[in-house]
Amino acid sequence: MSQQQKSSGRGPRVNWRKLFEPLRPRQEGTMPAGMILVVILVGLCLAGLLNADATLRKSNAKGDSWRNEIAKTVASVTDTFQINFFRNAIDDAIGKNQSSQIDVEELLRQQAEAESAAAAADANKVPELAAPTPAEPMKIWVGGDSITQTFGTSFQRITQSTGIFTPTLDFRVSTGLARPDYFNWPEHLVKNVLPANPAILVIMFGANDGQNMVDAQNKVLERFSEPWLAEYRRRVAATMDLLKSPTNDRITIWCGPPPMGPGTKTKGMDELSYIYWTEAQSRPWIQYFDTWPFFTDSDFQFVANLPNADGVVRGMRQKDNVHLSTVGGDRLTWAVIDRIGKLVDLSAGKVTPPPAQGPPPSVVERTEIPPQMPGAE
Amino acid sequence: MLFPTIDFAVFFLVVFTVSWLLRPHKIAWRWFILAASFVFYGWWDWNYLLLLFLSIGINWFFGWAVFRALTPEGERTDASRWIVRIAVIVNLGILGYFKYVDFFLSTITEKMRSIGISVDAPLLNVILPIGISFFTFQAISYVIDIGRGEWRKPLNFLDFGVYLSFFAHLVAGPIVRASEFAPQLEEQPDPRYVRSGEAFMLIFRGMFKKVVVSSFLATQIVDPVFANPDGYGSLAVLLAIYAYAIQIYSDFSGYTDIAIGIALLLGIRFPQNFDSPYIALSLQDFWNRWHMTLSRWLRDYLYIPLGGNRGSKAMMYRNLFLVMIIGGLWHGANWTFVAWGAIHGGYLVAERIVRAKWKGHELGLPPLLVKSMQWFLVFNVVCLAWVFFRAQSIDGAFTLLGRLFASGGSSAGVSLLLIIVIVASVASQFVPPRIPQKAEVWFATWAPALQIAALAGGLVLIDALGPEGIAPFIYFQF
Repeated sequence: MSQQQKSSGRGPRVNWRKLFEPLRPRQEGTMPAGMILVVILVGLCLAGLLNADATLRKSNAKGDSWRNEIAKTVASVTDTFQINFFRNAIDDAIGKNQSSQIDVEELLRQQAEAESAAAAADANKVPELAAPTPAEPMKIWVGGDSITQTFGTSFQRITQSTGIFTPTLDFRVSTGLARPDYFNWPEHLVKNVLPANPAILVIMFGANDGQNMVDAQNKVLERFSEPWLAEYRRRVAATMDLLKSPTNDRITIWCGPPPMGPGTKTKGMDELSYIYWTEAQSRPWIQYFDTWPFFTDSDFQFVANLPNADGVVRGMRQKDNVHLSTVGGDRLTWAVIDRIGKLVDLSAGKVTPPPAQGPPPSVVERTEIPPQMPGAE
Repeated sequence: MLFPTIDFAVFFLVVFTVSWLLRPHKIAWRWFILAASFVFYGWWDWNYLLLLFLSIGINWFFGWAVFRALTPEGERTDASRWIVRIAVIVNLGILGYFKYVDFFLSTITEKMRSIGISVDAPLLNVILPIGISFFTFQAISYVIDIGRGEWRKPLNFLDFGVYLSFFAHLVAGPIVRASEFAPQLEEQPDPRYVRSGEAFMLIFRGMFKKVVVSSFLATQIVDPVFANPDGYGSLAVLLAIYAYAIQIYSDFSGYTDIAIGIALLLGIRFPQNFDSPYIALSLQDFWNRWHMTLSRWLRDYLYIPLGGNRGSKAMMYRNLFLVMIIGGLWHGANWTFVAWGAIHGGYLVAERIVRAKWKGHELGLPPLLVKSMQWFLVFNVVCLAWVFFRAQSIDGAFTLLGRLFASGGSSAGVSLLLIIVIVASVASQFVPPRIPQKAEVWFATWAPALQIAALAGGLVLIDALGPEGIAPFIYFQF
């Protein structure tokens, strides 16, 4: 610091113009460490501001308290100054959803308009579907999160082989009902799935839903807390309502998630299953399917290897103890087909499972789902 | 702590600032880097730090003991040889325990059960500490180099701790040798000339490869097809195989690009780890370009001790094959990795035999056509081997390969964008290195404000194009 600066009482002068002048490094490709620090520090801060909305959405889901508070503060600042336009424009351009809410009312209205000609149906009884035949196969749609990836591909292959179904597979990795900002399933169902008029939908969610949610008042709900469970139940019920056909000619098989094995971070599947089951009770067009007994021992505790109907023990899960193996996917598929057979006449198709693929006859769904399973992961 | 996270960004800002402030004070700087590295590693699980402390302690002692056992002229003695052997056994023992104990216990239990003996073996559920392979390999190379008299000055305890635990290479390499790293501890890099152009480009390229390319390919086609090959048609399976080749390259080279860039910003230069491996015209060339620091480690500490090129041709081929099998097993206790190593080993041997037989013969085809055919063959052999590397079992790999020739099946996941990403990723490897080098130099001349805008815009774009969250790097598990 020069004597003159000292005497004037000011600190070292910063030449801000330098920031806007091209650099002429003495050594090619280099920059002073101090300038690098400025570039990194200001660049990261700017990126943090531009990305604030996306960071907040992720932070809300993770729910780390102090980080979430910081994310909220930054997002409110960027909101005030509208700095988030850049990220939102990119999200719009690539079709990423930015809302953490599911506007069910709006979706219901759109759906009602699309089907306004349909007559009111008796919604108090299970829809009666015409028996599919090879000449007139039944449209069946299977979709959900990444567990549906293996289950769905098994389902697609096996239902195709029966000769009486025209299956469509539609799984989305890392999705569920907790993060419509990431993937809005209700909207997707209404806009893209139902217009194709599948007679049966097979749906599975839950494995990615054990994360915080944001309610209509933008309040973060801690996962599996009472308010969280209430909000999740509301979303499940709303989604189920969206799946109702005005002419009562569509059935949804709502599969509960299978139990998760040791070492996984996916917990609370029993609590979610209970919500699905209870909500399905009052909606005859929704048939809850209990996957749990097909992947557990007789005490309903997780087991990775189980015997199929031929008595041979096989691995039902992938190494992560979350996703199903191909064998597990086949097993679940045959169980679901068996369940569909109780609702629809499938006698025209090849629907008898090979013993090496289907579950033993002794494995059956539970008649009642408990609110929580003791020792469940 | 994962590189492409906010946690790491904050961590690095602090480390970068304090590191350059302390750089003139050599001892203080070393202590600071050591502490920062422990924080970085402990962020995953503080218990892992005990293992890192243990590795630093025993290997520093082994290095010191080996050095003491050499003659004053640096010649090997029986004692030095024995200490080196013990050091290798102890290191591989620790590594083996974490990597293979559960596999052996479960295999023994199953075998006993199959002959009617019910054994209730304890399930240890041993969790593999992140990066254990990488720092163990570095430690082994340090002790062996001293034992060979190649590295005449054992490091003091602090320097060795910094060398083994330096956070930029700690969890997934590159595998840096003491002879490359230690001299840089003594140097006093000039803070006015930090290689920012190269560092920023490496970090950006690495993040884009990892967060955008690798994640896209994994979710779009690789994971679904490998999880259930029976459900997919031949086109989807073929694209999934090529996509996995790109995915694993993008993931691993992306990580090392970031690691090298970060070290460069702190004034430390790491050796190159990838050099456009998918342009290789022979498998030998491929291994000179893929995971280069592991390749030379295997060459210097496994292939050469096994006899290397010395001895008969048959012995050389045996050594080559064996090294690839062991290299495969290093990735994990699974027959799929053995198959991966066998394909590479077998092809490397075959390549040498054919080359020896055809020496001096000309095919009479245009050189460009010959090169294209060589490239096509090598690329597809590498992709074939990746199928075994990625599959959950040998059966699973054959099922997937069988689907290449089967009719029917879904083509879900196949899209024009996917094909463009695969083709562009392969094509990008043919770009001459001078082009990115020129871009690096040019970037460093930009006005800082422009660099700030590029940094911020680039980060936002990568985050937007990437999936939710950051998947762990594939090589963390090894």
